[in-house]
Amino acid sequence: MSSYEIFVIVFIMALVMVLGGSVIGLLLSPKSKNNQKGEQYESGIPTRGTSWMQFKVGYYLIAILFLMFDVEAVLLFPWAVIMKGMGVEGLYAVSFFLVVLILGLAYAWRKGALEWK
Amino acid sequence: MDYSQFLLMKPEISLALTLIVLLIADLFMGEKSKQYFQPLALVLFAAHTAINFCDCCGGSCMAGQSEAFSGMYITSNIHVFVKNMLNVGTLLVFLFSFEWNKKENKEHIAEFYLLMMATLFGMYLMISCGDFLLFYIGLETASIPMATLVALNKKRNESAEAAAKYILTAGFSSSVMLFGISLIYGSCGGSLYFCDVVKNFTAEPFQILAMIFFMAGVAFKISLVPFHLWTADTYQGAPTSVTAYLSVMSKGAAAFAFMVIMWKAFSNIDVKSTFVSWTNILWWIIVITITVGNIFAIRQKNLKRFLAFSSISQAGYIMLGLMSGTAEGMGSMVYYILVYLFTNLGAFGIISNIEDKSGKVGMDDYNGLYETNPKMAVVMMLAMFSLAGIPPFAGFWSKFFIFASAAQAGEYLLVFLALANTIISLYYYLLVVKAMFINKSDTPIATFKSDKMSLIGITVCTVGFLFLGFISQIYEQIIAWSFGI
Amino acid sequence: MIPVQFYLVISTLLFFIGVFGFISRKNLIGLLMSIELILNAVNINFVAFNRYLFPNQIEGYIYSLFIIVVAAAETAVAIAIIMNVYRRMGNETVKSIKELKN
Repeated sequence: MSSYEIFVIVFIMALVMVLGGSVIGLLLSPKSKNNQKGEQYESGIPTRGTSWMQFKVGYYLIAILFLMFDVEAVLLFPWAVIMKGMGVEGLYAVSFFLVVLILGLAYAWRKGALEWK
Repeated sequence: MDYSQFLLMKPEISLALTLIVLLIADLFMGEKSKQYFQPLALVLFAAHTAINFCDCCGGSCMAGQSEAFSGMYITSNIHVFVKNMLNVGTLLVFLFSFEWNKKENKEHIAEFYLLMMATLFGMYLMISCGDFLLFYIGLETASIPMATLVALNKKRNESAEAAAKYILTAGFSSSVMLFGISLIYGSCGGSLYFCDVVKNFTAEPFQILAMIFFMAGVAFKISLVPFHLWTADTYQGAPTSVTAYLSVMSKGAAAFAFMVIMWKAFSNIDVKSTFVSWTNILWWIIVITITVGNIFAIRQKNLKRFLAFSSISQAGYIMLGLMSGTAEGMGSMVYYILVYLFTNLGAFGIISNIEDKSGKVGMDDYNGLYETNPKMAVVMMLAMFSLAGIPPFAGFWSKFFIFASAAQAGEYLLVFLALANTIISLYYYLLVVKAMFINKSDTPIATFKSDKMSLIGITVCTVGFLFLGFISQIYEQIIAWSFGI
Repeated sequence: MIPVQFYLVISTLLFFIGVFGFISRKNLIGLLMSIELILNAVNINFVAFNRYLFPNQIEGYIYSLFIIVVAAAETAVAIAIIMNVYRRMGNETVKSIKELKN
């Protein structure tokens, strides 16, 4: 069996599973119709106002902090790729980096930037 | 890895340790012990300064240049000397801001010190970089905390505005510079170490383009015309001690790093046209910078804004040291920065002192200052004379040496234009002196007594710019340490 | 394989779009986005040069990683400052920050 045949089989399986699931769901599920079905978020609470409202400042604060720590993690990837080659020295270097990052997080915590006011 | 190369990084390591210790201290200090933070920070930083100073002067001098991390980090006596210079300057700024921190900046004292030290750390990296990557990291480490320092005064509109202008222009300039670096990477043999770049730098049009992008980016940081538009607004809006720091330290460090890079990465000894290519550009930039800075300084009414334009024109003089490419050029430039540091910090010390006590920074507010605060007025006058370059103050000698080094390279017209500009600058520096001594005012600034810390700082600055010119050993030692292309 | 010139064209276009945006945008966040565009142009340059001209090295890749990280830090600080401007002045357009003049 060549690899293309496996691909075809997987493709057909995927089609059958997805289509089959939705068709069976259509056939078996009870049907109801009301206005709320037409809304973007079917959460039971009617939506009000526009989306151009002011967000809480705390939201931005958390978002900025998240952005920082998320992107700093990029610097871990090159180390992760050659971790074995670097040995213990790489571990030391990265742990120093992480300690500095954690100090930054501790600073944010201590100053109350993580609290949702 | 060879851990002994960390020993070369003594200034960086001691500064980083100070920084981390202070950060941890700030995290775990209770409400009651908060008042001890400021003395603690001052003592620790003074210890850092003293240790490095003794290390520099006390005989452990390096022979020639040393490299660490395969050429990424370069250090030599002149590098260490410039770092010590910046240490002293930062210590002076800390002294000036002691009272301001106590009164107006109660909530963010720790941030003030930590961010200052973080920018200083960035400048260290910038000064002793041997690779464009370390240069970029150092530059950003110096400029990002700087923006937060400018915005430190959260209650004032101007502070926020100045910070927005600073961070946006800083980001824009560093991204333009990075575009240049990326082109250099492509056209100079795929390495970003200065020693590799210079081998492949043959002044082809593409490489010149890359170099111009790079120069434009760095010129933003040194605020050379035509990249100076942010300077006046940022200097005026920032807290005064931060302005002092910005005008001296960040300019001096960027200028030194700029010189090292232009000489090491863009001056191929085998190809003469490489050196000519950027000195020609710099020629025009220097002339325009000095002239525009001077002309705009004449009509300023706010003293911080006035000193901003004066610092633009001073940056033009500093750039004269690049023109010759000899050890004398580097030495005279470092000496110029040293003298400029003491003089400008002295002037800013007095301005911030008066602003603390009376809240006035306008030139007209200084009318009749001699009647009420004669000592302040005299020191301010001496600082202005030194900035203008009147003998026998140190400002004269630094200008003299830097002109001599440029004349040595045959740039007579440039030196003539710069000399003509010192006459214009004399006029506006004397305007301040006239306001203080001759103009009469109905509501002069009341007599006040400054706090001990600023007095110490102002005294050190005064001694510096009065006597630095007479001690010829300093200049000779700097020349002996510095190097040419 | 796509020649390296194509990448250079793209990155140069991006660069000048960024510069144009920085000069002409009225919104401070817009200025920040223009800076990001320029940085993306730089990243494209580094990665393309590294891949095509110097395939045995990784210096360009590492440089672009650092650019991403530092740009994030810078953006975080810039957004915080812009928020401060917004809170003080009521809007975040360039016109609102012109108090500091003679």
